[in-house]
Amino acid sequence: MSFKSAVITFPGSNCDRDAITYLRDLTNNDVLNIWHDETFIPSVDLIILPGGFSFGDYLRSGAMASKSNIIPEVIKHANSGKFLLGICNGFQILSEIGLLKGALIQNNKLKFLGKDCFVKKKHENKFNKLIKKDQVLQIPVAHNEGNFYCSNDDLNYLNDEELIAFEYCMGSFSNSDANINGSINNIAGITNEGKNVLGMMPHPERAYQNFHTSMDGKSIIESLIT
Amino acid sequence: MNKELILQHGLTLDEFQIIEDCLKRDLTMEELGIFSAMWNEHCCYKTSKKWLKKLPTKNDIVIQGPGENAGIIDLEDNDGIAFKIESHNHPSYIEPFNGSATGVGGILRDIFTMGARPIATLDSIRFGEIKTDKTKYLLNGVVHGIGHYGNCIGIPNIGGECEFDKTYDYNNLVNAMAIGHVKKNAIFYSKPKTVGGLIVYIGSKTGKDGIHGASMASDVFSEDDEDDKRPSVQVGDPFMEKLLMEGCLELMSSGLIESMQDMGAAGITSSSVEMASKGNVGVLINLDKIPLRQPLTPYEILLSESQERMLAVIEKGNDEKVREILKKWQIDFEVIGEITNTKRVVFESQNKKIVDLPVNIIVDDAPEYDREFYLPKKRNKRKFDLSNLTLEKMISNLLNNLNHLEKSWVYNQYDSTVMGDTVKEPGQATGIVKLHDSQKVIGASTDCNPLYIRINPELGMIYTVAEAYRNLIASNIKPMAITNNLNFASPLDPNIMGEIVLSVNGLKISASQLDTPIVSGNVSLYNQTNDAPINPTPVIGMVGSNSNINKIVSNKFQSEGDIIISIGENIDPHKSPYFLQDQEIVEDINLYNELENINLEDEKITAKILMEISDNNLLQSCNDISRGGIFMTLMKMIQKNYGFNIKASNDFELFCEYKSGYVTTIKENNLKKVFALLDENKINYEEIGRVVIEEIKINSKNIDYFDIKDQYLNNFERIIN
Repeated sequence: MSFKSAVITFPGSNCDRDAITYLRDLTNNDVLNIWHDETFIPSVDLIILPGGFSFGDYLRSGAMASKSNIIPEVIKHANSGKFLLGICNGFQILSEIGLLKGALIQNNKLKFLGKDCFVKKKHENKFNKLIKKDQVLQIPVAHNEGNFYCSNDDLNYLNDEELIAFEYCMGSFSNSDANINGSINNIAGITNEGKNVLGMMPHPERAYQNFHTSMDGKSIIESLIT
Repeated sequence: MNKELILQHGLTLDEFQIIEDCLKRDLTMEELGIFSAMWNEHCCYKTSKKWLKKLPTKNDIVIQGPGENAGIIDLEDNDGIAFKIESHNHPSYIEPFNGSATGVGGILRDIFTMGARPIATLDSIRFGEIKTDKTKYLLNGVVHGIGHYGNCIGIPNIGGECEFDKTYDYNNLVNAMAIGHVKKNAIFYSKPKTVGGLIVYIGSKTGKDGIHGASMASDVFSEDDEDDKRPSVQVGDPFMEKLLMEGCLELMSSGLIESMQDMGAAGITSSSVEMASKGNVGVLINLDKIPLRQPLTPYEILLSESQERMLAVIEKGNDEKVREILKKWQIDFEVIGEITNTKRVVFESQNKKIVDLPVNIIVDDAPEYDREFYLPKKRNKRKFDLSNLTLEKMISNLLNNLNHLEKSWVYNQYDSTVMGDTVKEPGQATGIVKLHDSQKVIGASTDCNPLYIRINPELGMIYTVAEAYRNLIASNIKPMAITNNLNFASPLDPNIMGEIVLSVNGLKISASQLDTPIVSGNVSLYNQTNDAPINPTPVIGMVGSNSNINKIVSNKFQSEGDIIISIGENIDPHKSPYFLQDQEIVEDINLYNELENINLEDEKITAKILMEISDNNLLQSCNDISRGGIFMTLMKMIQKNYGFNIKASNDFELFCEYKSGYVTTIKENNLKKVFALLDENKINYEEIGRVVIEEIKINSKNIDYFDIKDQYLNNFERIIN
């Protein structure tokens, strides 16, 4: 099976190359790189909106990117049921587009946070199906606005529809709080109703090679291609 | 010209006389501004040049030494590594957030100007005593600024230093280092090739920020300066820098660019003068063409230090193609002049020549001083009373001293894993990144031991270089070359000048012996407020490599039961300056004993053998011994739930400093092989204990593992809040 994927680059994206390398290595296939100003995306199985500071985070993180020329194509791709993954700034962009519930606000400690965090899956979907229940994944985060917030109604909805893909948890030797940034209900990643669009703050593309601090980030792409 | 005006521009009357004698006419205000910008310490190294010339700058692996935007070393297979360190001390005191942010921005431009993609940054930062709100404000602002800029542009921060000492109360230091990867056949230099080439302006519009920034950085502060000097601090925009970086790298690979120079200190003045000087040509620039953010006079345009701007030379006829590429990146681009054969720097505005100067007067006739210096006085031999020091007290002193604590509060505000190639994050002996899609890794460390250098500038500097060397060896990274950042107080004081002269000599001795040439650097003088000088702080950044990522050695414990070995020779506690300082035995700098001599040949042999042992996969982990002795080294090696159980002939041995010192852990069944190699090469070593689980035991005395570990990991945040 040949799994096709694309990564969108916005001005200020800085994890686009990382995402391309991640997909290339794990899907054994070339990866399309699409500039934000384009208006067409060839048919692919997965699109990644990468991390970074699209448009310098001006206005609000992800706000300006959500108005880019390529976005209608991204929405079309998502509406057709194919996979769309937003990592970090990509998650923020998905929230701004409205494909995902809630918003990412500033970390509760008001500081950028760059370190390994620990997450486990809460509700199953095609992105995390190979991950075992209660398995703790170690994956880096790097964000200033990663504090997931939503209304009570939305939170109930996310729980009822089982849309919470990942939640922060304690690592085996970690002595800091499980909840690293103040996210409501420890939420680290959510999907849309169709469970084909995932937004997550941790960076799986920084945790898949043998020299990384962990290889747990592999499981997301492996889940999708198996 | 008015005397006041000359002095305000930071020139001495003698210096002004030289200019007038050469020109044989009156200067325009703009020309005075140019000399002010080009003849200050920051741009022309007038005090340090005489001594810097003595440094070793060449060997087989040096592709580019000092004099370009960054130094470059050869990593074979067409891979080159560009790197440099630069200070932003004065601006970071006046406005810590923007001052430090633009420090990172400036050093990154130095790297990608050469065609190299930045792959890592490090930062060496120093502050006064944490007691004051001012220091807390500076610490927060500087760390926030470094993070803000580096995180946004997306270059991993892989290490550095953060030290506190009261001599930095009114002069904090911010030294930022960047490393880039360049293909050897695609290096760009600032030297223009063709007369008639178009000079183009790329990047942000020019505004009023940073006017006279470089001359500010060449002056002593007085108390009221803070508010007055704030407008001379630049404001950075990392998003613009990211666009500029991508745009410039794309332009360079398109083959449309001939040469490039970043507009750093002294803005368009210094970049155009340097361009002309390097190419032995002239430049003609029309200031009316410069993209402006607000109406500016020619004088202001010439001296603005607005950030994220580049000057490049392109062939005639290529301007539309260049414009097209830059449009994609939303970057301003303007043809502003051309390369001439006049060997003069000419700036025009409103059809009038407002500056017309021969390049050689600005560059070659720049003053060079041989300032008076004093050698340090001989020190008396003293014995100190150490009888009050117990094991518990020594541990407690270290764990309540910011300089020894785990600094994740600092580096967790930096993105260390962006680009996906980080092998070792901050908080370890060596920061390491992998070259993308290659098995080669680059390791780097920044170091300085100001207390050693104050006691004995030459020997102290040798200790500093040796420590950086050991930081790389501990990870099995072969040390290759050095970039330096010489931070000192006012050179007009002969005692300070003595520190400069002797420590540069120490750098020369150690860099020659260890075969690690100096390929780039920066000098920051006048780091003093009124009569209070900083400790001499010549920071070095050492870079090395290993062609096989799988041979890298961890700096942390790997498994229970591994044998702990100490290597090297411990220094008498009475001659261990940091031990005496940290244990609060000595306060007055005059009372310290002379430093013990250090033998760099021993250092080299130990390093060679350790690398051999590492290459044979016989080491589980390794770390160097520095301030805080074996004890602090062991604390740094703790990860997960590992601890240590060790023995020593006396407690002091665990806390004082070492020469050629390392702590390594080795699997029991490899012990014989390792010992044989060490014995054969007459290297001092001792088996001191074992890696254990959830326990710290010293000479059979139990220390509360969880309490000590918690203090080590979290006291930093407790103390600074």
